[in-house]
Amino acid sequence: MAGSIKLKGSQGLPGLQRRPLLFPPLDESKPFSRWPPANLFRETMAANWLAPVLLTASGRPVFLPNEVERCLISAVDLDAEENPALPTLRSGLLVLTSHRILWIDESSTSGRAIPLAAVVHAFPPKKSLRSMFASPRIRIQVSVSPDGRVGEKGTRSEMVTIVMRGKNDPDVFYGRLLEVLRSRTWEASEGSEGRERGSGSGEGEGSARVRMPVVGVSGILRKEQEMWESTDKSLQEAFHDLNALMSKAKEMVQLAEKMRQKLLLGSSAQGSANDDELGSKQEMQDWLLSVGIVSPVTKESAGALYHQQLSRQLADFVKLPLEKAGGLIALIDIYCLFNRARGTELISPEDLLQACALWEKFDVPVMLRKFDSGVMVIQNKAHSDDEVFARITSLAQKPDALRMGISPSDAALTLGIAPALAKEHMLTAESKGLLCRDVSPDGFRFYINLFKEIDPSDIYSIKITGLLDAWVSAVSISGQT
Amino acid sequence: MRRRPGISGLQSAAAARDQYRLVGENVAKIRTDLMKEQLATFRSQLEEFARKHKNDIRKNPTFRTQFHEMCAKVGVDPLASNKGFWAELLGIGDFYYELGVQIVEICLATRSHNGGLINLQELCSLLCQRRKTAREAVSEDDCLRAISKLKALGSGFEVITVGKKKLVRSVPTELNKDHNEILEVAQAQGYVMVEEIEKRLSWPSGRAIDALETLLEEGLAMIDDGHRDGKRRYWFPCVAPISAALGADGLRSSS
Repeated sequence: MAGSIKLKGSQGLPGLQRRPLLFPPLDESKPFSRWPPANLFRETMAANWLAPVLLTASGRPVFLPNEVERCLISAVDLDAEENPALPTLRSGLLVLTSHRILWIDESSTSGRAIPLAAVVHAFPPKKSLRSMFASPRIRIQVSVSPDGRVGEKGTRSEMVTIVMRGKNDPDVFYGRLLEVLRSRTWEASEGSEGRERGSGSGEGEGSARVRMPVVGVSGILRKEQEMWESTDKSLQEAFHDLNALMSKAKEMVQLAEKMRQKLLLGSSAQGSANDDELGSKQEMQDWLLSVGIVSPVTKESAGALYHQQLSRQLADFVKLPLEKAGGLIALIDIYCLFNRARGTELISPEDLLQACALWEKFDVPVMLRKFDSGVMVIQNKAHSDDEVFARITSLAQKPDALRMGISPSDAALTLGIAPALAKEHMLTAESKGLLCRDVSPDGFRFYINLFKEIDPSDIYSIKITGLLDAWVSAVSISGQT
Repeated sequence: MRRRPGISGLQSAAAARDQYRLVGENVAKIRTDLMKEQLATFRSQLEEFARKHKNDIRKNPTFRTQFHEMCAKVGVDPLASNKGFWAELLGIGDFYYELGVQIVEICLATRSHNGGLINLQELCSLLCQRRKTAREAVSEDDCLRAISKLKALGSGFEVITVGKKKLVRSVPTELNKDHNEILEVAQAQGYVMVEEIEKRLSWPSGRAIDALETLLEEGLAMIDDGHRDGKRRYWFPCVAPISAALGADGLRSSS
């Protein structure tokens, strides 16, 4: 009986045949036995099976419009058990969204997607004595096109198994999967577009045929009146209760957009100096300051992976404000902008700090920096210390600077940063040996470090093209020594 | 309308055009008024929904996005919790976090106007304007508490007391570009005076004094109170060496 509990791959389960090995083990003794490269073949097979997923620079998936994340699980395999030619995708992150099922590999560099439109049926996880010891499996039936791609309008269907090897609750995931399949959000967005196009043309034709003759000014006035009445009615209906609002949500969004456009046009045309109006117009424009995040990472959707995914989403979000602020932005400002983009899903300051601390583990292009005074800022890695030092040293090598040195305020004015920050950069540069300080009644001045150029064994030798030579010539011109 | 020949024809055509224009303006005005009314209704309804059904909205992610879109387009702030009893006592709960986000936002918006320094009273009044439909008004104490919760993110936000007034500084010294502007003004003569800064850069007085005091603390400025007119001069030796400026100024003040 011990044999039946061994469960890695398809070897341990009794009664199941061994899957034939597609690629025999490589024979090192034979030359050219590696062609074609096994991985390349597998990758192309996988590429033909599932559509690829675009990932952002921080490893988060790029979502379709209106796509919202519902559930994230780690350590998941995707297996096409019935079709041995298709390779198993092992140990990745599974993301269930309102439109697709995404599988992202562990290093977050590539991913594959199954559109939910292709899912025909989802089988619940089996509950049996055997399955208590195995990793929970959820099998879904997907439609496949003749050339083996998983897609919406397939001719045959295949089974894909989702194997959850981590400590996750399969029932929760299954429940969410059913919910998402039932709501069919992907259809709504596609269907409404088609419907809009269709209805637009239909309405045009209909109105040309059935419309009452619009005679002169009274016709226009009547049309205005009708429009106002219908808007009023739909407003009343929509705000009757929450469910009504939910069902009419799309209509309300469009109505809001129309109102906003008309009001902005109206107030700019009239040129009103009314304080109240200006205030409300200002409000409406301020709101669109930040780009909203359609699918924020929440504890509910991400569970144990909350901090990791939050960290990645933050890294993506931070890029735009960083550029606007010139490469350096205070942590508190980002707290405000990020929370605003998330709407009502606020994160606490501690969550933000933790998310920034996790950046060191991932390969993201931003970093957190803490100053001595306790201020914390986020800066671009590219905008990092090395680049600033390079600029400071080039500034310190100009002929004027060789003679008189540079002060923190000179550096501040040239680099375009605050004097306190410039002073800190110069002190750090000094500690790295790039600059030397000179304390005088005029205050702090920094000179380029020439000691490195001087050869200790032959103090008076000066290389013709070296820095020391440049310094000597600059100094001797002015007559000082 | 029949076109009539001659000058009378032109005059009547002009009169007709005028009348059409008047009617058109009237219609436009009525339309805008109605629109504003509907917008106001829309807004107040959204605000009520945001307050009453907050949890339900959060549970449904697709609807949540649409709700936020509606709020953003119409100008309604979806952050509208009430301060519960426990929230006030223990300082927990969403209320103070929301307040924190709104405070930082107001500071960001007014930063270009006042250089990152804002009066606490002004902040409170702007905040109350934003939270029009909230049941209770926001007190200064609430603002201070919300700001203290932001301390975890570094010491960027501070409340400083100048005489009887309390000012909130939202820009940390390291990121304050005001100082650079003062240095540029100082390059002309080597020193600056408070009125000169206020006039040249059109800043309110609190902003100029605060920046000069910070530069003093940093060690970049020195005070000179010994002039006959009694006004304080701030010297910047880093910008121009004292010896050069002293010669010129010494000649001037002695004559």
